[in-house]
Amino acid sequence: MLEIKPIFHALCRSKVGAVLLLLQIAITTAIVSNAAFIIQDRIAFLNQETGYPEQDLFKFNVMTFGKDVDLSQQFELDESMLRALPGVESAAQSSSIPLSGSGSASSFNLKPAPQESKSVRTAYFFIDEHGLDTYGVKLISGRNFSEDEVLITNSPTDRTTNVTVITEALANELFPESDALGKTIYFGDLPLKVIGITAPMKGPWLKDSHPNNVALIPYIQSRTYAQFAVRAKPGQRAAVMKDIESLMLKNYSKRVINNIRGLDELKDEYMAADKLMMRMLIVLITILVLVTALGIFGLTLFNISKRTKQIGTRRALGARKSAIINYFLVENALICSVGLFLGVIAALLLGQMLMQHFSIAALPPSYIAITAVMVFFMSLLAVLGPAKRAANISPSIATRTI
Amino acid sequence: MLLHYLDLSWRSFKRTPLVSFLMVLAIAIGIGITMTSLSVYHMMSADPIPHKSSQLYNVQLQTMDEGHTWWTGDDIPMQLTYQDAENLYNAPIPDKKVAMMRTGFSVYLDSDEVKPFISNARMTTPDFFNMFDVSFIYGGVWSEQQEQSAAPVVVISKELNDKLFAGENSIGKLVYLDDDSYQVVGVINDWPLNLKYYDLNNGAFNKVEDLFLPFSLIKAKELNSWGNSNGWKYENIRNFADRLQSEQVWIQFWAQLDTTEQKTAYGNYLTSYIEEQKKRGRFTREKPEYSLRDVNQWMEYNNVVSEDNKILVGLSFMFLAVCLANILGLLLAKFLRRAPEVGVRRALGASKRQVFLQHLVEVAMLGFIGGLLGIVLAQVGLLGVRQSYNYYANLATMDLTMLLSAPVIAITTCIIAGLYPAWLVCKTNPAIYLKSQ
Repeated sequence: MLEIKPIFHALCRSKVGAVLLLLQIAITTAIVSNAAFIIQDRIAFLNQETGYPEQDLFKFNVMTFGKDVDLSQQFELDESMLRALPGVESAAQSSSIPLSGSGSASSFNLKPAPQESKSVRTAYFFIDEHGLDTYGVKLISGRNFSEDEVLITNSPTDRTTNVTVITEALANELFPESDALGKTIYFGDLPLKVIGITAPMKGPWLKDSHPNNVALIPYIQSRTYAQFAVRAKPGQRAAVMKDIESLMLKNYSKRVINNIRGLDELKDEYMAADKLMMRMLIVLITILVLVTALGIFGLTLFNISKRTKQIGTRRALGARKSAIINYFLVENALICSVGLFLGVIAALLLGQMLMQHFSIAALPPSYIAITAVMVFFMSLLAVLGPAKRAANISPSIATRTI
Repeated sequence: MLLHYLDLSWRSFKRTPLVSFLMVLAIAIGIGITMTSLSVYHMMSADPIPHKSSQLYNVQLQTMDEGHTWWTGDDIPMQLTYQDAENLYNAPIPDKKVAMMRTGFSVYLDSDEVKPFISNARMTTPDFFNMFDVSFIYGGVWSEQQEQSAAPVVVISKELNDKLFAGENSIGKLVYLDDDSYQVVGVINDWPLNLKYYDLNNGAFNKVEDLFLPFSLIKAKELNSWGNSNGWKYENIRNFADRLQSEQVWIQFWAQLDTTEQKTAYGNYLTSYIEEQKKRGRFTREKPEYSLRDVNQWMEYNNVVSEDNKILVGLSFMFLAVCLANILGLLLAKFLRRAPEVGVRRALGASKRQVFLQHLVEVAMLGFIGGLLGIVLAQVGLLGVRQSYNYYANLATMDLTMLLSAPVIAITTCIIAGLYPAWLVCKTNPAIYLKSQ
C-alpha cells in the first residue's frame, strides 16, 4: 500500500539529496531539543516566585559624608518620615537588599564557633521590626521582633542581639526532624533564638546554592553607607521614588542619595544575562526550523522537477493524484525517520557534552521525543505543498516529449 | 580568467534569481547568527593588554588550612589577606608590584556648584599606572614616599576632571572625599577597558574607577572594601585592626615579571615567604602552594567568557552546518540543471579543471555576497544583544578582525558546500548532451 520498496529504490538512485536532508534533520533535532531544554530552564528561573511584591518595593542608598550628625538618630528620623508619607506602606533600613545580587551570607551553625557542628549557608539581613512588613513577607509561625529587641548602635563591637526570624527553608534545613521555633542557632559565636518562621523569601542571590535560606537579625549598625527598602502603596511607587532624594536631603543634606531602584528592576538586571540567553536561543531555533523547512521544501521541489516526466507517466498509467502525494510524503517520512534516529543520538550526545563541560542538567528524554515529533510534522508540512503541485502534473506531459 | 569567471557567475546569478537569492539568504542567516555569538566571544576573550599580558602575574596564596575548599578550580583563594599583601608589597622583589582594593567615596568640592555624588575608587600602590599602561593628561602618580606616609592625594579620571574642573589642569586642587580633602596629583587619560581584567571578581564589567588613591590610606582611614571579602574560618573580628590582621581575603595583588628567571626567582621567594609564615602559625598546609597567572590565564581561570556564550558559539556553528547542507542541496540542483551548457563548453575545449574552478568562483561569489549580508544581520543581532544586556554595551560589537572574518567564514563555508556539486558538474560527459541537442 505504501509502496515503500520502490520508493526506497528510487531514493538509492539520488542518495546525495537524501543524505543532505537527513543530516539537516539530525542536526536540527539535536540543537532544538537541547536549546528547548535550556530555554525551559531559563524561563523557570526568570518566572520564579520570589516572595516579594516586587512591583511595589524599591531601595535607595544613603552615603553620609557629614560628620556633625548621630547616624542612628538620623536614620530613625528618616524612617519615620518615610513611613509617614501618604504613598508608603512601610520602610526600613536593610543591610542588604533581596534579589539585588549583593549582600552578605555566612554559615549558621547548631553550636557556637569554633566548635564543629551542622553548618548551613544563609543570607542574612540586619533589619528592624518593620522589615517583614516592608518586604511584604508573612510569618508562618512564631512572632516578629518587638521594638526593644532591636539593637540600634553606632558601635561595631556591640553585639547583644539574641533573636532571629528565619525562612521555612532554612528552618527545615537546620532542623529537618523537629520544629525550629524556640531553638537556638549560632551566627559565629553569637547565639540567636528563633522566634519566628516566615513564608518563602529569597536572599540577595537567586543563583546562590541556597537561595531560599534567609535570616533576619534585629541589629541596626548605622554606617556612613546605608541602604533603605521602601514598600509603596500599589501603583504609587513611581511617585514616591521621584521625591525620595529631595525628601531625604531635606532631612539632612550632607549625604548622597543614589541608586533609587525598583526591586523588579534589580531582579531584571540580575537576570539580564539569562534573559539574553533565552532570547538568543529562541531566535536561533526559530530560524533554524525555518531554514530546515525551507531546505526540505526546496529539495522536494527540485526532485519533482527532475521527475516531472516520471510522474506524468505514472499518472498516464493510471496512478491517482493521492498516490503521487503519498509517494512524496512516504519518501519524506522515510528520510525523516532515519534523520530523526540519527538526530536522537546526536541530541543525546550533545546533551551529554553540555552536561560534562557546563553546569547544565541532563537532557530529559521527553524533550527529544517532543522535538522529534515536531520536526517530523514540520517536514511533512514542508513536503505537502510541493507534493500537491506534483500531483497536478498533467499525464499529457509524459506523452509530449519522448 | 578570474574576471571572466566572475562575469559568468554574475550571469548565472541573474538567470536563476530565486535559487541564488535563497542560497545567499541561507549563508547570510548562518553568518549572521554565528557572527553575533562569535563577536561577543571574541571581544570577551580578547587580550586586553597584548604587548604585556605575559609579564603581568596575579598572585594567589594558599592560606587556608588543610581540608578547606574554595570554588576556584585549584582551591586557592582569588584574593590575598591584607597582611600578606602588605608583606609582599614590602618584599625586595620584584621591582614592580601592586596591591589594591576597590572602594568608593562621596565626592564634592568646596563650592555648591557640583551636587555631591558617589564615585568608585581604587586604593592602589603607585606602580599600578605603569604596570597596566595608564597614561596621564596632567600630572602623574604619587611618590613612593607619599604612598608610605598615606598622603591625602588622588589621581582622577578624565571624566571626573571634566565634571569637577571642566577639563582644566586641576593639579594641586582639592577634592572632598567623604569629608576629607585630597589634593589632585594626576589626571589619567580615557582608559577604555571592555573588562576590568585587573580585578575580575569585583564587578568585571563595571567601568574603570574614577578615583585612584594610595593603598596605605586603607589603614589610615579604615576604608572598607566595596568588593568581595571572604573568610574561610571563624574569626572574632571586632574592629578594623582585627580585620587587617585576619585571614579574610579582600586584596588583589599583581607582580610584573619580565623574564622566566624573574618568575622562577619570585616563585622561590613566595615559597620561602610561606615557609617563614609557617613558623608564625599560618599556612598550615604540608605543601606550600601559591599561584602566578598571567593576564590571559587569569581571565581563563575566572571564566570571563560565560558558559552561555560558549554554548551559543557551539550551537551557532552547528546552525552554520545546517545552512551549509542547505546550500549544498540548492547548489546541486542549480549546477546539475546546467549540465547541457557545461557539456557544450567541455566539447569546445574547456578542461575539467577550468569548469571546476569556474563553479568554485561562482560559489565563492555567493559566499561573499552572503557574508556581506550576514554582517548586516549580525549588526542587527548585536544591537539586540546590547539592548537586552547593558553590560555587553562595549562587548557586543564587531571589531575589524570580526568584520574581516565574516566574509572569510562565509566564503569558506560556500566553497566547502560547492566542492561536491562543482566536481559532479565538471565530470559531465560532453557527448551525452551534444547528442540530445
